Amino acid sequence: MSELGGTTALLRAPLNQVSPRAVPYWTISALVGDEVLLAACVAARLLVPGVPGWTTWLLVVLAVLAVVHAVVMPRIRYDVHRWEVTPIAVHTRSGWIGRETRIAPISRVQTVDSRQGALMRAFGLASLTVTTASAAGPITIDCLDADTARELVAQLTAVTATSEGDAT
Amino acid sequence: MIAAPEDGWIRLDPRKLLLDPVKAIGQAVVPVLVALVGISRSDTSYWPFLLPVVVIGPLLLGALPWLTTTYRLTESQFQLRSGVINKRTSTAPLDRVRSVDLEASLLHRVLGLEKVQVGTGVDDERITLDALARLDAARLRATLLARTRPDVPAGTPTTSGPAGPGRPEGWLQDPSAPVVRRPVPPQELAAIDWSWLRFAPFSLARLVVVAGALGVLSQFADDLPILDADQARSAWEWLRQFAVALVVVVLAVGALVGWVLIAVLGYVVQWWGFRLTREAGSLHLRSGLVTTRSVTVEEAKVRGVELGEPLLLRGVGGAELRTLTTGLENGTTQVLPPCPREVAVGVGGDVLGEVRPLRVPLVPHGPRARRRAWFAAVRGVLVLPALAVVPVWRWDLAWWWPLVVAAVTVPLAAVVGEAAYRHLGHALAGDHLVAGSGSLARVRTVLETEGVIGWVLTQSWWQRRIGLAHLVVTTAAGAERVVVRDVPVAVGVALADATTPGLLTPFLVPTDQALGLGPGQGERPSCSGQERRSR
Repeated sequence: MSELGGTTALLRAPLNQVSPRAVPYWTISALVGDEVLLAACVAARLLVPGVPGWTTWLLVVLAVLAVVHAVVMPRIRYDVHRWEVTPIAVHTRSGWIGRETRIAPISRVQTVDSRQGALMRAFGLASLTVTTASAAGPITIDCLDADTARELVAQLTAVTATSEGDAT
Repeated sequence: MIAAPEDGWIRLDPRKLLLDPVKAIGQAVVPVLVALVGISRSDTSYWPFLLPVVVIGPLLLGALPWLTTTYRLTESQFQLRSGVINKRTSTAPLDRVRSVDLEASLLHRVLGLEKVQVGTGVDDERITLDALARLDAARLRATLLARTRPDVPAGTPTTSGPAGPGRPEGWLQDPSAPVVRRPVPPQELAAIDWSWLRFAPFSLARLVVVAGALGVLSQFADDLPILDADQARSAWEWLRQFAVALVVVVLAVGALVGWVLIAVLGYVVQWWGFRLTREAGSLHLRSGLVTTRSVTVEEAKVRGVELGEPLLLRGVGGAELRTLTTGLENGTTQVLPPCPREVAVGVGGDVLGEVRPLRVPLVPHGPRARRRAWFAAVRGVLVLPALAVVPVWRWDLAWWWPLVVAAVTVPLAAVVGEAAYRHLGHALAGDHLVAGSGSLARVRTVLETEGVIGWVLTQSWWQRRIGLAHLVVTTAAGAERVVVRDVPVAVGVALADATTPGLLTPFLVPTDQALGLGPGQGERPSCSGQERRSR
């Protein structure tokens, strides 16, 4: 298949799953987002005069879709989202309809950030972002257990402090 | 008021006293006019006070930078002091100087001046001397670049005797002084060949400018007396007496001739005296008829090149070349004018150190990628027949109109899709990763494997069904990403593995056991048996 020779191989999934508490967190944030959109549509339906009757059904469909999204998306996402940090590379997989796999060598890591929104704090979650010298290359691990995130930041920071050069 | 420069510090060229006020007046002219109009309407008794302020103000403001800006060259540093109230000193260690660019606007050139920009390569900020006499600028450039020669270790005591701060003018007036060694003679990579002018009309980059100018003109067209409705009608009657076809032909030929003139003129103005040289570890580009532009690209920062063949240019065998560099504000620099493909490939090979990546045939991405390319192109134009339905429904046109539109656009789209597929491809040649892309234009992006920072493999839902993926190479150079589009997943993974040996090894599994980005579903690993790496 390939001119590059060798055995054909694929990437396996990274080993670790994110925190199980990510599922309720994603559910709630999806619900909040969808409800805001739905409320805006309902308000428009009620306030704008002379709207045809079938738009009510459109709103019902929209509401059903919102519920399905909030129920299905977090579960798929939880299955897909994975991460792994080895001494040479950071490897993540994310997405729910599509898939995105990212790999960056530890030697090229420039900054390690962790982020925790208000809602995330309520669930004891934190996100971790590893950036490289490329604007296209930041790697985010969403919804880690807050303690795991803290350990990982410390570990990555220690490793990157020892690497040399400007990593471009 | 302001003291004369201390020992060792040199002022900019006195002709700057002419340069800045002219610029300042140019900038101040609009607000001043507005103020004058406002005041003259209310009260004219202010005039005698106002006029001197308005005229002398810019002059004084223009003169201040000359009085306050000084620079000097010490044994180890190049320093620039500037500022009236907030004094600022910029310092560049001599062994860090990576680029010295000279630039001259029309005004500079009339006055025999040049703007010098010194880049240290450490950060994007550059020290700017605006302006020096042309000769001084050239000497300063030679001096600074000679210091950066790799065979002169930093800190080597090359200075002997009183040179340096004690003898401020010495380094300028006496090129044989032991301060510097003679710079390496620049190696010429390319120079303008006026037979390349034939490519000018086929490069559409300038068309944007022309379109913009036409847009501006059309703003005024309403005010023109000739475009009165009655006159337009009578002109139309007059025209109809002639064959309409003739008029169309004349207009088309006129537009074509106009375009050729503009394109050739633009090419000459932009690329007059073009020279690309290699000097002290940098690529140095200089060109321009009216404004002389000079660009220095440090070779250590060049991570690759991009060979672009836009549709028209390709038809006549032309190409353009850009370098991909890190650490510059804009990571891609056009280093060649539109020129014969062979020249672009040759210069690209010079820059890369090997010419093979620019010649090697690309590995195609297979029938599924072709299908996707066709589908993407056709989907893009299906909107047109759909839109054509609207007038049919509205104005009772014949029902077959949308079909005609479809019959015209869909084959065209199919051709574009096929072209997009043919331009698609990848290769690994020596130390370089090659990615082909583009639909109307053919683009070949070559990236040093050292410049690869990481990998992103993305799959949309559709791509997952047919086992393709976009392989995104992240890099600090150029657009910071190179995309190998619609590559079969296994091929993409093999390419990534071969490009950065070792990086992917721990994550690879033979195809049949793949849990990751397999073509199908059913990729849910059972985590129970595996050790969870919680650190």
